[in-house]
Amino acid sequence: MMTNLFSSFDPTASFNMSLNWLSIFLGLFFIPPAYWLIPSRHLWLWYKIIITLHYEFKTLIGNEKKGSTLMMISLFSMIMFNNILGLCPYIFTSTSHLVMTLSLALPMWFSFMIYGWLNNSTHMFAHLVPQGTPNILMPFMVIIETISNIIRPGTLAIRLAANMIAGHLLMTLLGNTGPNLTLIVLNILLILQILLLILESAVAIIQSYVFAILSTLYSSEIH
Amino acid sequence: MLSRASLLSGQQFKNLLALSARAAATSPVSSAAAGSADSSAVGRPARQEPGKVRLGFLPEEWFTFFYKKTGVTGPYTFAVALSTYLVSKEIYVMEHEYYSGLSLLILCIVGVQKLGPAIAKTLDKGIDEYEAQWNEGRASETNALQAQIKNEEQLQWSAEGQTMLIDAKRENVALQLEAAYRARVQNVYQEVKKRLDYQVEILNIENRINQRNLVDWVVTKVRSSITPDQDKQNIDKCIADLGALAK
Repeated sequence: MMTNLFSSFDPTASFNMSLNWLSIFLGLFFIPPAYWLIPSRHLWLWYKIIITLHYEFKTLIGNEKKGSTLMMISLFSMIMFNNILGLCPYIFTSTSHLVMTLSLALPMWFSFMIYGWLNNSTHMFAHLVPQGTPNILMPFMVIIETISNIIRPGTLAIRLAANMIAGHLLMTLLGNTGPNLTLIVLNILLILQILLLILESAVAIIQSYVFAILSTLYSSEIH
Repeated sequence: MLSRASLLSGQQFKNLLALSARAAATSPVSSAAAGSADSSAVGRPARQEPGKVRLGFLPEEWFTFFYKKTGVTGPYTFAVALSTYLVSKEIYVMEHEYYSGLSLLILCIVGVQKLGPAIAKTLDKGIDEYEAQWNEGRASETNALQAQIKNEEQLQWSAEGQTMLIDAKRENVALQLEAAYRARVQNVYQEVKKRLDYQVEILNIENRINQRNLVDWVVTKVRSSITPDQDKQNIDKCIADLGALAK
């Protein structure tokens, strides 16, 4: 039983080795092998997703930075596999932990910022005052924009983790009532859970997409 | 890769060996596969489809393993008995994960049953189009080569026609030569005739001149032989005749 509301997110592991974090890499097993000239259904679906995302991200990044979509697509795939596999029972959801999401968001944001500050300093400062700001508001706008820029990795990380936690919490709470219910009510529970699972699968994909597309947008702002 | 290779059947393993041999060898795969009994049967290794399953995910081999000892119902009985044992001894605890797992299982089964065929059809269509794209190059190459062969055969046929045409031309040339020969013969005849006519004309003219000269000579001789007396007698005679006539 749960000792507190969030204990279902506890990283329980064997052999004192935190092996639960290995679930991050479970997604690798789902990337289909591409040894053959003619792809399998699974691989074809994967190609379709990747190509769609490529066009999606390319329009945001622009044509001058070639190959950047690869990084964002990888990020999307990794987060999506973690989210979706986390919905399966007994699989640790690493993306519901800030240590995972923040360690994705923070270094990326930092690298974008440092790149921008070093290479396009003026441009980066110009971003602090949006166009058409009245002169009197400019000092405040700088403060507001600076804060909004600084909290970006935090919002990225917390958005993803909070979404994952919320869904899993609901699933866990619903599931915990299971043993006390009669068979008829249990059916209602299952239907509820199925509906919730559909929602959560959608959220899993959407949140990974949001993470990737916001990172793309942040990266496109620095040049 | 190797652990998977050990699970493959003999023929598949041979295919895999051919593939690995091809990766290492510089010669084409046919020579690598030539070692086996029938090289045509080995062929090119292709992507394998997954094996048969029951209930959507349990390998058929597990059921055949049970079949010899327990018959058809054996594996199912075993599965039910084992899960009952695990649940009743609380080795498997039905906590919240069980219920969410159950809902996920139902969701997956319904999803695969309802959406699976449509998605599979769409994906297969895409794959078929992709494969068709690859085949298109080969097919067009084959078509082009066949068109070339056809063209070549037509060329050979028309080359055979050429010999006939050359014969006809040769005949035509012979006819032309004959015509030219005859024209020349005619020309020679004409020229010779012209010269002979010339000679004949000269002879005629000489004869005419000679004749005139002779006539002139005779006339002059006759005139010179006429004396003034004779002339006077003649005139008198004429006047007398005229006088006689006037009477």
